[in-house]
Amino acid sequence: MAEKNVSSAEIICYYTGCIILGVAFLMMIPIITALIFAEWNPFLDFVVSMAVSVLVGAALILLGRHTRQNHVSVQWKHGFVVASLSWIILMMLCAIPYYLSGHVNSFLDACFDVMSGFTTTGLVLTQDLDHLSSGLNMWRHMLTFIGGQGMVVLALTFMVKEASGAYKFYVGEGKDIELVPNVKGTARIIWKISMIYLVIGTVSLWIDGMIIGLKPVSAFLHGLYMFESSWSTGGFAPMTQNIMYYHSLSYETITMVIFILGSFNFGLHYAIWQGKRKEFVKNIETQSFFVTSFVACMLALFWLMKLNVYPDAVSAFRRIIYNVLSAHTTTGFGSIYARQFALEWGDFGILIMIIVMLIGGSACSTAGGFKALRVGVVFKGLIMDVKKLLHSERNMKVYKFHYIKEHILDDSIVRSSALIIICYMVLFGTGTLIGTFCGYPLADSAFEAASVTGNVGLSIGVTASPMPMALKIYDIIAMYMGRLEFLSVFALIGYAGGGIKKLCEKSFKRLS
Amino acid sequence: MRKIIQAFVLTILILIPFSTSAFAAETVEINSLIENAKVLDKTEVTVQGEAIGEMLNRGEYSWVNINDGTNAIGIKLKTADARQITHYGDYKNKGDTIKVIGIFNRACSEDGGETDIHGESVQIVKAGEPVKESVPLPKVITAVLLTVCAAAVVLLLKKRIHDEQIN
Repeated sequence: MAEKNVSSAEIICYYTGCIILGVAFLMMIPIITALIFAEWNPFLDFVVSMAVSVLVGAALILLGRHTRQNHVSVQWKHGFVVASLSWIILMMLCAIPYYLSGHVNSFLDACFDVMSGFTTTGLVLTQDLDHLSSGLNMWRHMLTFIGGQGMVVLALTFMVKEASGAYKFYVGEGKDIELVPNVKGTARIIWKISMIYLVIGTVSLWIDGMIIGLKPVSAFLHGLYMFESSWSTGGFAPMTQNIMYYHSLSYETITMVIFILGSFNFGLHYAIWQGKRKEFVKNIETQSFFVTSFVACMLALFWLMKLNVYPDAVSAFRRIIYNVLSAHTTTGFGSIYARQFALEWGDFGILIMIIVMLIGGSACSTAGGFKALRVGVVFKGLIMDVKKLLHSERNMKVYKFHYIKEHILDDSIVRSSALIIICYMVLFGTGTLIGTFCGYPLADSAFEAASVTGNVGLSIGVTASPMPMALKIYDIIAMYMGRLEFLSVFALIGYAGGGIKKLCEKSFKRLS
Repeated sequence: MRKIIQAFVLTILILIPFSTSAFAAETVEINSLIENAKVLDKTEVTVQGEAIGEMLNRGEYSWVNINDGTNAIGIKLKTADARQITHYGDYKNKGDTIKVIGIFNRACSEDGGETDIHGESVQIVKAGEPVKESVPLPKVITAVLLTVCAAAVVLLLKKRIHDEQIN
């Protein structure tokens, strides 16, 4: 029991309700879009979805009303459970407009696409994307944009008045950087950074869209959608062909710049905006990212040139570098067809893609994967251990790494980084195992499992509506766990397990 | 024996040109093109599908994307040919169904390694049309009822918060 007789369940209900209500009101944007383009069915679909979401959100707030009355302080477990629970409830509520649109074959497919959007994965089960309404397209890309910055971060910025305990929700959603001492201030900075890039990125893509032959209105919508997808390292696109629809080097280059920027830590953006440009070079994450992406690009280039897959340097840039960086930043825009990875890239090419998809982008960014920071820390930890072995025991040297500020590299940091990497590898291994069990080839299963675990969104052809239900459910769980970085999900499982245990104990007592 | 060999050679000579044109005349699915990209690279193929999105005019040439239900691919056409297509598929329109004969490229050296088709001829098989949108009455009634319920709950919530603040 929390203080002043307010139970944990009430606290969780109240804050989950607030987050749901906040996202419900965001449905006004696709409603307005549908109105502007006179799309009456999508308009009604969103009205129904918004009403249901408001009812659920308000009901939860009413259930937890004592939390507000008693000004209860939030504990770590509440933060983690609220973050993970609100993602599950929102997945189902946000899937309603997908399901009502008739563009998905089942409600599970709708949930899959929503979770793919929230987690900025970008895998798609929605059918016939080329005939999707503007309202639903707006919603798909909004979900990935909001998911990238964090829905809890959004709710914190606009809805929760009291900042006390806010940090616990914030960490619960997989973000743990404090740009300013106040968490609400940090959340606001994250949104400010994203909104400034939104304007610059959308205008750039809008202008380029018109140059490459899109009509002004559609160039604007494509620009907005592609920015949201690139910045949040999502990978959704409004057309079936993804980035290949545009047939343009300039469009690909602009999206590439945006998704690389999106994969950087918000702390790094903030530091550079404050004039600390050296941070870009000194930061362990950028160092790690540039080393791994350079090595991966070179290996893929040499391999595919050896196989003579692409005819010249421009082709190599557009088909190899673009896809490797899209995978490494966990974006998932594909400039080749999914099946071409399997048919043309060979085992070595697939292996490179699997490795970069698992590594991913920066911590506290919109990217997925086990993050450049952890790779850098574990690598430095390894070097530290080797040096310790080689030096005399009297030599007590302090090892450091630079990440926004100087940090002492101790065993606990290395251990926690390694633990998260192990969790990701277990998730990846399980996904590969289930894929092969479902009858897919090993390379295909591993590629798809890496894409799902790292929240990437590139496919080798496995992800499609007819794939087995068990694999769809596993993918939803893997995307969710990968994005929330395990802790929140473990907390939710622990909380639910504790609740079930209490219920069982009570019923046993009654029986005896 | 000599006659048999002569007949065999003659048959082969006759069949080769016919088989090529027969392949080009047969419509190939886009997914099948991708699956057999190495074999079909730089050969003449025929594809049929719905023109989607919009024409991307690049001066002398334009890009038209078509979707045949299995997948979508970009067709590079002379702008004059592309202008024949008047309807493009989107939420409100069914695009023209077009039949394109052209050269399939697995990784086109002219277009940055794209998998595309350079169209030589285009034919409108079926004209597209605007899609009539019908709104089912039960959906309207459900939307109205749920909105009323949601508004009532929000008002109740606001009242409670207001009462709490007074107390």
